[in-house]
Amino acid sequence: MEIAPALQIVLFAVFAAISVLGALGMATTMSMFRSGVFLMASFFGVAALFLLLLADLLSLLQVMMYLGGMLVMILFMVLFSSDPGGSMMAGMMTMTRVEKAFSRGLSRPSPMATPHGAGGGMDMAAGHDMSMTTPARKWARHFGWAVAVVLSGALVLRPVARATERALPDPRSPERIGDLLMGKYMIAFEGAGLLILLGIFGAVLLARPSERPDPEDRGHLRAAVDAPPPPPEEG
Amino acid sequence: MSAVPLSAYLVVGALLFAIGLYAIVAQRTAVMVLMGIEVVLNAVGLNMVAFWRFLRPDDYSAQIFVIAIVTIGAIEMAVGLALMMLIYRSQRTVKVDDFEELRG
Repeated sequence: MEIAPALQIVLFAVFAAISVLGALGMATTMSMFRSGVFLMASFFGVAALFLLLLADLLSLLQVMMYLGGMLVMILFMVLFSSDPGGSMMAGMMTMTRVEKAFSRGLSRPSPMATPHGAGGGMDMAAGHDMSMTTPARKWARHFGWAVAVVLSGALVLRPVARATERALPDPRSPERIGDLLMGKYMIAFEGAGLLILLGIFGAVLLARPSERPDPEDRGHLRAAVDAPPPPPEEG
Repeated sequence: MSAVPLSAYLVVGALLFAIGLYAIVAQRTAVMVLMGIEVVLNAVGLNMVAFWRFLRPDDYSAQIFVIAIVTIGAIEMAVGLALMMLIYRSQRTVKVDDFEELRG
């Protein structure tokens, strides 16, 4: 199936914008939950770009593994953190323009929240150090810009030599990938399986209930779990 | 023929890489740092698939490499989150600034 060139350019522009803006939203918004959702959008954009590049198995794997697996893990961890919605954070920090754009609708104006100066992103509110970013944010922004400009400039000014262009959409590409995995790259395949096994062992071992007590704020949850069930009602 | 040149895909990869790098350096909680790492891995995968498509579309080894990258990224995120939970239990904080001591 051959797509018209104009449509190719339009689709590329749309999905590239989704990828980049999703990643930007992930990096700058004040709400951790929104970060997860922006990351989801970025993954979708990259999966669509994979489709445009005729790597169909990879795009589906991207959706399944990143979105179906890792993003769920990320959202679980976000929900276990403090202030996942970001309204407390957004109410307290002074944000740059980009951050404000991605954090719209988060903060509710309250008489308590007085905006503190954003000296390098450190905020002290009632002795609590609340901030989304480390003190390194100031030069990290410049560093990120520098990397983006240098790489993009190098690519635009010294374009990659005219590459050969003979790919047609190959409907049997998953078969070929499977052949390679089972044949030439069997060791890598088995090695990845071993690595996953070790990762599972490691993660379960590290996160098992240890001799260290649970934090105090989880004490009531532990008590609720350990308490004997209420006696059944009579009648 | 692809109407979109190779450089365009590489520029998108470069932008994603830079944004992921900013997230890794500037975010304060370990979960956000791991999200930044995922964005960087995405950018690398995009570069690989773009080069595969334009230079060696007959050899599918590049796609297998991307599968390996995604797999290893998933594993390191799982282990990283487990580590973060363990550190939270002993230090009561998730801010990476406070992970300063190499103490048991």
